[in-house]
Amino acid sequence: MTISTDLPVVQREELISGSEAIARACALADVDVVTAYPIRPYDTVMQFLSKLIADGELKCEYIVAESEHSQFEIVKHASAVGARTFTGSSGVGWFYGMEALAVTAGLRLPVVALVGNRALDDPGAFGCEHNDALAVRDLGWMLNWVATGQEALDTALIAWRVAEDPRVFLPCALSADGAFLTHSQQIVNVPDKRLVERFLPPYNRGDLTLHPDNPITIAPQVNEDWLMEMRKQSDAAMRRARGVIIEAYKDFNRIFNRDLTPFVDEYMTEDAEVILVGMGTMAMPMRVAVRRMRAQGQKVGFLRLKWMRPFPVEDVQRVLSRAKAVGVIDRDYSFGSPFHGGVLYNEIRSALYDMNPRVPLVGFIAGLGGREITQPFATEMFGIAQQVAKTGKSDNETHWIGVRGKKA
Amino acid sequence: MTTTQQLKPIRGVHNAPLEEFYTSGHRTCQGCESALTMKLMVKAAGPRTIVLGSTGCMYVANTTYYSTPWVVPWMHTQLGSSGSAATGTAAGLKALMRKQKIKDEPINVISFCGDGGGADMGLSGISASLTHPEYNHLVLMYDNESYANTDIQVSGSSPWGANSTFSPPGKEHRIMNTRWKKNTAAMLAVGHPMSRYLATGCGSYAVDLMNKVRKALAIGGPTFIHTLDPCPKGWDYDPKYSHELGMLAVETGLWVQWEIEDSKLRYSGPSRMIAVGRRKRKSIVDYLKRQGRFAHFKEEDIAYFQAQVDQIWEKWGTPGVSPMRLDVGGDRA
Amino acid sequence: MTTYAVEVVYRGIFQKRLSANICRGIVLAAHKEAKVGTAFGRYGDSPERNGIPAKFFAVVADTPLELEESLAKYEPKEVDVTICLDDTLCKGIESWAWYGLQSIGAITKPGGTLIVTSKQTTEALLEDIHQKDAPYNLAIIKGPASFSGLWVYKDDHTDVRILGALAKVCPGLVSLESYCKAIAEQWKSEAKLKSAQRSYEQTQLRPVEPAEGNHGALYSFDKPGWEEMKEALVISGIAPGTGFRGGEGGFQPGRSDVFKKFSTRTMRPVVNFETCTKCTLCWLQCPDSCFDVTPDGLYDANMEACCGCGVCADVCPVADCVTMVNEADFTDNSSQYEHYQRDKKGYLRWLGGKTATPKAESRSHGLHHWSQYQDEMVAAAKERSNDN
Repeated sequence: MTISTDLPVVQREELISGSEAIARACALADVDVVTAYPIRPYDTVMQFLSKLIADGELKCEYIVAESEHSQFEIVKHASAVGARTFTGSSGVGWFYGMEALAVTAGLRLPVVALVGNRALDDPGAFGCEHNDALAVRDLGWMLNWVATGQEALDTALIAWRVAEDPRVFLPCALSADGAFLTHSQQIVNVPDKRLVERFLPPYNRGDLTLHPDNPITIAPQVNEDWLMEMRKQSDAAMRRARGVIIEAYKDFNRIFNRDLTPFVDEYMTEDAEVILVGMGTMAMPMRVAVRRMRAQGQKVGFLRLKWMRPFPVEDVQRVLSRAKAVGVIDRDYSFGSPFHGGVLYNEIRSALYDMNPRVPLVGFIAGLGGREITQPFATEMFGIAQQVAKTGKSDNETHWIGVRGKKA
Repeated sequence: MTTTQQLKPIRGVHNAPLEEFYTSGHRTCQGCESALTMKLMVKAAGPRTIVLGSTGCMYVANTTYYSTPWVVPWMHTQLGSSGSAATGTAAGLKALMRKQKIKDEPINVISFCGDGGGADMGLSGISASLTHPEYNHLVLMYDNESYANTDIQVSGSSPWGANSTFSPPGKEHRIMNTRWKKNTAAMLAVGHPMSRYLATGCGSYAVDLMNKVRKALAIGGPTFIHTLDPCPKGWDYDPKYSHELGMLAVETGLWVQWEIEDSKLRYSGPSRMIAVGRRKRKSIVDYLKRQGRFAHFKEEDIAYFQAQVDQIWEKWGTPGVSPMRLDVGGDRA
Repeated sequence: MTTYAVEVVYRGIFQKRLSANICRGIVLAAHKEAKVGTAFGRYGDSPERNGIPAKFFAVVADTPLELEESLAKYEPKEVDVTICLDDTLCKGIESWAWYGLQSIGAITKPGGTLIVTSKQTTEALLEDIHQKDAPYNLAIIKGPASFSGLWVYKDDHTDVRILGALAKVCPGLVSLESYCKAIAEQWKSEAKLKSAQRSYEQTQLRPVEPAEGNHGALYSFDKPGWEEMKEALVISGIAPGTGFRGGEGGFQPGRSDVFKKFSTRTMRPVVNFETCTKCTLCWLQCPDSCFDVTPDGLYDANMEACCGCGVCADVCPVADCVTMVNEADFTDNSSQYEHYQRDKKGYLRWLGGKTATPKAESRSHGLHHWSQYQDEMVAAAKERSNDN
């Protein structure tokens, strides 16, 4: 790996929240159009971004919309004329704009959005749940979860690079756990803008750009003779996205002298008999638990899934096939789903289906509504998974960890 | 996009541009007046124009995949998104031009919606778009007085008593739509001081409509035009009468043609003659009796309809535009 | 053990209720014979536009299982009887549901029957109807195309006359008796019963041989696969216009390559270029931008773009300049202006012939005033009583 050393890979260090790190990324990426609408907790990115714009650190069209629906529609149309865009939302706000989110993917427009994960109403709740972002997982949105402020900044730059790649042209949602990441501040290394320009080429939509010099008609109504072919095109684009993501991480590591892995983060999984899987900031308490149990000689590990769409089947199979038992921690729910498991549980279950031998799986629902995933909860989950490893059989029960009353 | 195209007024039908930028390829109804509105809209705007179209007849009937009537670039937008589509397109172009990412030139941005998309679902988005003085665009609401594309369902812009698949006359209730048509353009005019131009129009008065489109695009900032488009399908009449019914709507005083330019209100065409008392309003019966959607009307319904139109002209503070009157220590009207 | 399928080809909106009434009548009558059936409009045709060709189907079987076998839930692939409610559709159909021109009765079984409501003769119709590979029968129900609108139905008995004719041409489907029971129950009208019976008696079958019919070409459209289709739901716009016929002066708009309006038209404007004052109104007010502007400032209605709405004739200030003429009176779509340029005298003779007996009324599209249809019914009743 050749490392470019002519420019500082760290221009300056800042103590900022995950939201603020993504706002920094917007300035580094020279975003053209930003739309905002208030809802906690994602709005922190717009509070910081509007200040950057006010201070002249980012020159762009900044529009405070009158609803999430308009907020997402405005960037959708700006993206169609060739503008680099950023927006975001949380919880029911994300759902209020759902129509716009669906068509943005259908139109193959590379909008990048932050989802500050928040529980859906009712009842009104500000705490973290993943169901808001997960709602777009079938629509043609690329979807990933970040765990730290640094990763938020890095992944935002990668998101534009992949989304705007002509082989992909799909929108990308960055998911950040509400409060845990959107509001907590850490030291983040902000790279030199000139390096970012080497990594992130300008957005060029080519002959799909809406402009008088390119008089096209976009999205005419279709009957059953056409739609299936269009869905197949989106499917093909999402399939191509995997390779483009790997490419982007390789360049990112080279240009910024880093060693990021594209799809998953492994923690002490090499020789682990029991591996728990989860997304987002829960990785921190889980890593602590892994260290403590390792200290007692227990072979456990944690796998953090970074990309939900495209789903990294190969990586998940490679890592989990080594274990005697796997537990999946969902910070979401999918009521009435197979085995009453969460969304991630059922996705991983399907990813492991063809493996031989098939590793026994157990599901956990934890940390809903922003409830903390504590050390006792972590050890409890490892304990249940270790039992499965011993017996080699799972009861296919989904365990609600930390819920008052019956756990299943 | 700080500047706008200088579009000169069209003086008479003989000076109308020959070029068409909306032409054959659409599958609209025979005698579709909304198709005429589209044609006149871009004929007036010219080739350096981007058009955004909300879901509705002028989406589904115009552009069925692999055929399109548009010579200028065109893009679909959602039913309630005409306002945000205009803002987003104008903002995108402005950002790219400011950063020299594309050539800095005035490009017309026109976003259209039907009465369902404008007077109902899209109202808040249009309202928001009219508050952004830095973006040049026109939102045109073509009003055929129902959700015509989905099968003629009543909208907030449908006339009182009109038959529709959601408001059919029956044994118990002859009049199912008891709401009076929303006064959308005037409502928007009152509430958006940053919008320098708002107008009403009708394809039956082609030159007047084309000039209103040109003014709206040339003046700068966000603007709005509301057209009345006779609909042979939903109104139920012989398509050859589309033009005549548009004129009748104006001549009976039911549809009032006006423009507000930098807060100066002007009536146009027959509406002006009616307003200054140089012309008598035709009886509303002439209009109603030619449309199947009113065929269930009894004399009392016609009388009620006429009384409402009379009130608009005789009681309103600004006849045909706004009911508001100044009350200085007791209403003297 | 039999299943019968019937398709009704009609003009969108103008004949929406008429075609629905016919197919409902078939199924209700079949019910009288303890048969099962379903009536449905083709979803691909919705939302209907007035004038655009559309289809309604009725499928009847002895048992529910047979009905299922016939795939009645969707569009039948072949039918025993095709009913054409407007003889201008005999020139071919381009519906919402597909691109390209299909012949009328394209899915009529060999030996099946095509019923057309028309004032034309069999021979005249066969000039329009494209030839088929197999023999079939043609039956004409004498009368004008019955057009009305969405709300006010023109009850000129066309619906029951079709049912009466069906009993004659397809006795296996439903008997006249059962139709009469259904009609009596549906409309409770002696007059309509009589109309059905009279139609049964009058309907004649005319065998048509494969060689007979219009030998003109139909056109179709090849649909590309997803790899060939442009990404991101994009298609090219219409090409900018040119001078008249690509030359200097005048203007000719760009036209769609994939959708032509030939089969959307039931009337077409013919223009007297001698009396034209070049007032521009026909051109300016045409919702379909169908007029090509000639170098000398005349307006030539381009038949690939005209849907025959009649606005041009209505706005024309000159009495005999633009006249709407029954589409059935034309065999091609050539330019009137070019004809006029080639041979002024000949053109005016042709024009005189076309406008001598204006058939516009027989193609009147729907409502002019509230009491219109009642008035017309009185006249129609007189006509029927004169028939016998």
